Amino acid sequence: MSWDWRYAWQIVPTLLDGVAQTFLVTLVSATIALLGGLAVAVTRWLSPAVVRAPLWLLVELTRGVPILVLLFFCFYGLPGLGLRPSAFVTGVVVLGAVYAAYCSEVYRGGLASVPPTVWDASAALGLSTFVTWTRVILPTVVRANVGALGNYVVILYKQTALLFTIGVPVLLTNAQVAGYESFRYLEPFTLAGVLYLLLNLPSVWLVRRLEKRMTRGGF
Amino acid sequence: MADSESGRPPAVEFDAVTKRYGQAQVLDGFTLKVQAGQTVTLIGPSGSGKTTVLRLAMALERPTSGDIRVFGESVVYDDPARGLPISKANAGRRSRQIGMVFQQYNLFPHMTVLANLTLAPRTVLGLRRDEAEELAMEHLADVGLRDKSHAYPGQLSGGQQQRVAIARALALRPRLLLLDEITSALDPELIGEVLEVVRKLTRTTDITTLIVTHEMRFAREISDRIVMFDRGEVVEDGLPAQLFTAPSSPRTREFLHSILDH
Ligand SMILES: Nc1ncnc2c1ncn2[C@@H]1O[C@H](COP(=O)(O)OP(=O)(O)OP(=O)(O)O)[C@@H](O)[C@H]1O
Ligand SMILES: [Mg+2]
Repeated sequence: MSWDWRYAWQIVPTLLDGVAQTFLVTLVSATIALLGGLAVAVTRWLSPAVVRAPLWLLVELTRGVPILVLLFFCFYGLPGLGLRPSAFVTGVVVLGAVYAAYCSEVYRGGLASVPPTVWDASAALGLSTFVTWTRVILPTVVRANVGALGNYVVILYKQTALLFTIGVPVLLTNAQVAGYESFRYLEPFTLAGVLYLLLNLPSVWLVRRLEKRMTRGGF
Repeated sequence: MADSESGRPPAVEFDAVTKRYGQAQVLDGFTLKVQAGQTVTLIGPSGSGKTTVLRLAMALERPTSGDIRVFGESVVYDDPARGLPISKANAGRRSRQIGMVFQQYNLFPHMTVLANLTLAPRTVLGLRRDEAEELAMEHLADVGLRDKSHAYPGQLSGGQQQRVAIARALALRPRLLLLDEITSALDPELIGEVLEVVRKLTRTTDITTLIVTHEMRFAREISDRIVMFDRGEVVEDGLPAQLFTAPSSPRTREFLHSILDH
C-alpha cells in the first residue's frame, strides 16, 4: 500500500469541513474558557469565604478529572438523569469549563500581582468600582497574562480532537470516518496531522505577537 | 487664625486621629489643621507615619478613631456623633476635592498619557471626550509635556512620569493636593523639574498643598508652615525660617542633622 494522491485529493473537502467544525468548537469553547475563567476569578476575588469555597472546589474538580472522563460523564452519563445535551454542546461546554478552570487560575495570579499602587491610584482619582475594574484592573491583568491565556487557547484547539470520542465532526472525526469508509487510513490521518499543524503555527505566532503588543508601554 | 475668624473651615483637619495596624500604633491622638490656600510640609524620620497621614486624608485608609475633615466635611463619617461611617457616594464626592501624587508615580501603564489624564474627568465628572482632552492638554502644558500626550508611561523618564501624575491629579480640579515624597524615586538630575512644577503650582493657584518631602531646601522655600512629626505626634510646628534655623525641639534638631549629614 502506498500513498494515493487521487484518494487524498478526494477526501480534502470532508477534512476541510472538519477544519471548519474544529474552528467553531475552538471559538465557542475558548470564549467560554476566557470569559468563564474571568468570571470565576473575579467572583472568587470579591466574594466572602462561603462563596469562595465551593468555587474553589469546582475549579479543582474540573482540573483534577481527565477531560475524557468529563466528556463521557456528560455525554453518556447525564442521559441517565434525563438530560440529553447534543454532542456539540457537550463538547464545547466541557472543553470550555475545563479551560475556564485553568484560565481562572491565571487571572487569579494576575489579580494578586496587581501592584497596590494601581489600586491606590484608582481610589485617589475617585474612580468607581466598575470603572476601576473594567478600565484599570482587568486590562492590567489581561495584558500581563496574554501569553499564558493564549497558550491555553492553543492547547484547547488541539484538545478539540478529543471530541472525536463523542462524535462531534471535528477534523480528527472526519479523517477517521473517511478512513473507515474506504479502509485507507494513511492519507486521512497524515492530512489531518498536517492540517492541525498548519493551523497551529499561525496561532502560536499570533499569541507571540499579541504578547509583544500588550507588553508595550513599560510593563 | 484668619480663617477661623472669617468662619472658613480649614482645608484639612485631623481631629484626635488614632491609627493602628494590628498591634502597631502609628498615630495616637494626632491633631493638625491646614488652612485653605496654605502650603504645609510634613517632615519627620522614616516610619514616623507621614504617608499614613496623607493616606488618611485621601481616605485610602480609615482611622482607628478620631475624625478627619476636608473643607469642613468628614471623610470618615456621615454622622460623626453617632459614628455612622461615610457612604460611598459621600466619600466619592468629598475625595473629589482632593488630589494625591505618590512616590512611585502610579500611572496606569496600559494607557497613554492622555488616557491617564482623561479617565477620571470622563467617568467621575462626566465630561465629554473632547472637553476632557482639551483640559488634559492644558494640564499637560502646565507641566511642560504637551508633546507627550500619546506616549505610554513606560516611554517617559521618571521625572516626566511624575509630572504627568501631577497633571492627572490636577485634572479633577482638586482644592487640596497631597504630595507624598514625589521626588524620592527620582534620579537626582530629574528632581529639579518636578519641584519646579510644584513651585509654580503653589505660586500661581490658591490650591492647598500638604507635602511630605525630604528636600529641605525646597520645603523651606515654598512652605508657609513646617510640621515636624515623629512617632505619630507633632513635635514642632512653625514657620520655615524659624524651624530650620532655630528649632526649639531637640528631636527636630536631631532629625535635621541626620538629614543634612547625608
Ligand atoms: N498597611 C500597613 N500595615 C502595617 N503597618 C503599616 C502599614 N502601613 C504603614 N505601616 C507602618 O506604619 C508606620 C508608619 O508608616 P508610614 O509609611 O506612614 O511612615 P512614613 O513616615 O511615611 O515613612 P517613610 O519616610 O519611610 O515613607 C511604619 O512603621 C509602617 O511600618
Ligand atoms: Mg512615606
